Amino acid sequence: MARDPKYDILFEPIQLGPKTMKNRFYQIPHCNGFGSEKPMNQAHFRAMKAEGGYGACCTEYCSISPESDDSHRVSARLWDDGDIKNLSVMCDMLHEYGALAAAELWYGGPHAPCMESRCTPKGPSQIPSDFEFLTYPIEMDKDDIRYVQKLYVDAAKRARIAGFDIVYVYGSHAYLPQQFLTPFYNHRTDEYGGSFENRARFWRETIEQVREAVGDDTAIAVRMSCDMFMGEAGTQLERDCLPFVELCDEIVDVWDINVSGISEWGEDATPSRFYAAGRMLPWQEAVKAISKKPVLGVGRFTNPDMMVDAINNKQLDIIATCRPSISDPFLPKKIEEGRFDDIRECIGCNVCISRWEIGGPPIICTQNATAGEEYRRGWHPEKYSKAENAENDVLIVGAGPAGMECAMVLGKRGMRRVHLVEAADDMGGCMTWIPQLPGLGEWARVVNYRKIQIDKLANVEFVPKTRLDAKGVAEYGAEIVIVATGAHWVTDGLSGATHDRIPGADAMEPHCLTPEQIMVEGKQVPGERVLVIDYDGYYMGVSLAEKLALEGKKVTLLTQLGTIAPYMHFTLEAPNMHRKLHKLGVEIVPYHVATAIEPGRVTSVHVYDTEGHASTWDVDGVVLVTQRRSDEALYRELKDSVGMDALRAEGVEALYRIGDCEAPRLTADCVFSGHRLAREIDSDNPAIPKPYIRERKVIERELASV
Amino acid sequence: MKIVVCIKQVAALGDEVEFSDDGLDVDPDYLELALNEWDGYATEEALRICEQAGGEGDEVVVVSAGGEEVDAALRRCLAMGADRGVRVELAGRADPFTVARALAPVVAREQPDLVFAGVQSSDAVQAATGIALAELLGLPGVAVVNKLDWDAAARRARVHRELEGGLVDVVDVETPALLTIQTGINEPRYATLRAIKQAEQKEIVVEAAAGDGEPAYRVRRMFVPPKGEGAEMLAGDPAQVAARIAELVKERLA
Repeated sequence: MARDPKYDILFEPIQLGPKTMKNRFYQIPHCNGFGSEKPMNQAHFRAMKAEGGYGACCTEYCSISPESDDSHRVSARLWDDGDIKNLSVMCDMLHEYGALAAAELWYGGPHAPCMESRCTPKGPSQIPSDFEFLTYPIEMDKDDIRYVQKLYVDAAKRARIAGFDIVYVYGSHAYLPQQFLTPFYNHRTDEYGGSFENRARFWRETIEQVREAVGDDTAIAVRMSCDMFMGEAGTQLERDCLPFVELCDEIVDVWDINVSGISEWGEDATPSRFYAAGRMLPWQEAVKAISKKPVLGVGRFTNPDMMVDAINNKQLDIIATCRPSISDPFLPKKIEEGRFDDIRECIGCNVCISRWEIGGPPIICTQNATAGEEYRRGWHPEKYSKAENAENDVLIVGAGPAGMECAMVLGKRGMRRVHLVEAADDMGGCMTWIPQLPGLGEWARVVNYRKIQIDKLANVEFVPKTRLDAKGVAEYGAEIVIVATGAHWVTDGLSGATHDRIPGADAMEPHCLTPEQIMVEGKQVPGERVLVIDYDGYYMGVSLAEKLALEGKKVTLLTQLGTIAPYMHFTLEAPNMHRKLHKLGVEIVPYHVATAIEPGRVTSVHVYDTEGHASTWDVDGVVLVTQRRSDEALYRELKDSVGMDALRAEGVEALYRIGDCEAPRLTADCVFSGHRLAREIDSDNPAIPKPYIRERKVIERELASV
Repeated sequence: MKIVVCIKQVAALGDEVEFSDDGLDVDPDYLELALNEWDGYATEEALRICEQAGGEGDEVVVVSAGGEEVDAALRRCLAMGADRGVRVELAGRADPFTVARALAPVVAREQPDLVFAGVQSSDAVQAATGIALAELLGLPGVAVVNKLDWDAAARRARVHRELEGGLVDVVDVETPALLTIQTGINEPRYATLRAIKQAEQKEIVVEAAAGDGEPAYRVRRMFVPPKGEGAEMLAGDPAQVAARIAELVKERLA
């Protein structure tokens, strides 16, 4: 379909200093676990977005020196010729698609723990990092300042050789240039501290020097946080950022505007649980109002109308996307072609970010199973090869995230017929009720996207309201059977915390409840006082605590862990979740395990109390968020009771299972599981993932034969 | 016992639409074909009646008019459990009278105890073919049936007709009769893959359309209506927007 003229503005070229960007779609710097040391993964990952229509794509934060080594987390690096070579592949591939390449030159100061390089980072003042443990910087003297500025200049020259069109002097997220600008980090009394002019000096000088070195043919970008939400101590829009824009507007080619520091950067990479799209537009608009240069910024934009509005309302010149570009690298092309139904919208769950926070595994995405698999598995988010065994009919039992994804991909791979059979009256599985937890509404996009795609596939049929037993499966008439029946929260308190049940835990009793009983069956939580036992550590326990507190219950959350929902630290949801539960008066009891549940009372002990003193909690209801268990009865019956021989007699040639039915996991991993099986349905042994390319150095040696 | 169900392969528009060169129809490349939703209910109703009767030789026969592409819709009904299919060869998209004239001799020859059709088709929305066919067959016709109690032995049925505003018209009718079946009368079954495969083996008899006649109408032109004036977008918080909507409604009603 021809492009709707309404969206033309998004496809107008724009000048960034000496470079022309072909449209207004910009992939902001974001991590992927590849850095400079997995260069082919890096190049193919970024190039997918260029193929999908992005006008410019950036590296993740790109270290300029071993003094700025973020190990265990993975950054790109431009330390030496080897890094130039490795990152040049990314630049070349981006250029093939007509996209610009940008390097986000980064010096972390005290936030860089230098665990690999064992260097000592330098910072404006000797105050240890508020983000990283036990990391003290060297307080910079004038020589150190000149030295670090030269590191920026040398890295910018390397970036230019590698083929980058845009180099950043990156400050946002409280890295070195912004540390100088910010009183919280900068306690100096020399000409680099104190007044605005002094605090701005380091950054301004560095921009000048980088511009002098490479500015003739390379665009200079500055990424600045315009509010750290820490009062006088933090960077502030009116006091610091707008004056800085005025001071440096002549020497900057493009402004990249966001908010937050690093210790709570969920204020920038906002989880959908707390913020809608476009959260930072007021700050971006303020900068745009006074700058003569293009302003870009993120806002988890997935809606093309919102993008157009942001430009027409003079809030942004360029629509930068991070998570939406991971979720759908083809976002620009789909807008251009009017294929809005096909946009795989980011759900704002932040599991992508969780991998960076964890320290370096490859990126994952709930919506896009191919994210991070472009090179190592050769997966393309929009292209599917016809399966070699496409003449087969497939039955998938269970239309949760894994089943839906598997059906969609098998449909796109041209299987003759795919029947997605579901007991409930609609698709979604657990994702029909999880989005009903407070704040998680956007997670329903997992279902919506797949539902629309499946509806378009003539060879995929959704069969609702049909609960198949083993006989029904055997006689269904499929050559390939895939069981995707999900998992459930256990009713007896079994958990990874104790590897045992909780005495007295029994969700058949009115005072004990599981998440599904509350959310799906509508079982009433009795009384006023509720204890949520959360041995899981992700969103379920705290979400139910929030829900019940919002309903007026007095809620206590008891966990064996040292803090609530530690995985939400990785997804950047933790700080605001803490605030929310605190505001709702939810009592948090860390380091405790329940030893007994009886009507009206729960007994617990502190996990480090060697004498085992009991605490008691007088409560009317107990919510058991202890562990999940696969719903594998159907699979076991098919495999063990019916058996493959009997199945073959009915024409079933293969039996697989996917998702939570194998073992409970993140939704992103359920989707991956369904996708992976469908991608490899014609491999020698589809049950076992094929090897992927491991990008590593292999020593040349003779091997003894096996 | 024999029930004949008249079905239609309907066309649904895809994301994009182009018209055929003569401007009289949508280019078939831009259409997705499927069994008309109403006809799934009609087939299900016939299957249930026959299954409950459980008699030897009971038969559900599905008939349709059109080209080869219509076989897919017939096979859909065969996969649900219908016993036989008959397709009357008919080119192009025909008007209700032409279709009824094509189907009438085939249905008459089957000497059915009941004839079902869907109330209407989702693409043409004429709601005329079934009743026209009743007229041609000389059978009583009852439209928009959403409940059916049939006493086969007494050759009499009591049916509920769905009227506007939630009204129900209870009608007694002598059978054989032609009933047009409304959605919601039952819950149509889904065909298993095995049933779909078996349906591929079932017989579909193709017959030539007998006789000609004037069509009920001729399509002169098919087009996308031009866009009207742009909508007025209301800005403000929900309360402001709600207040403005209330104002607008009052203005327009005044």
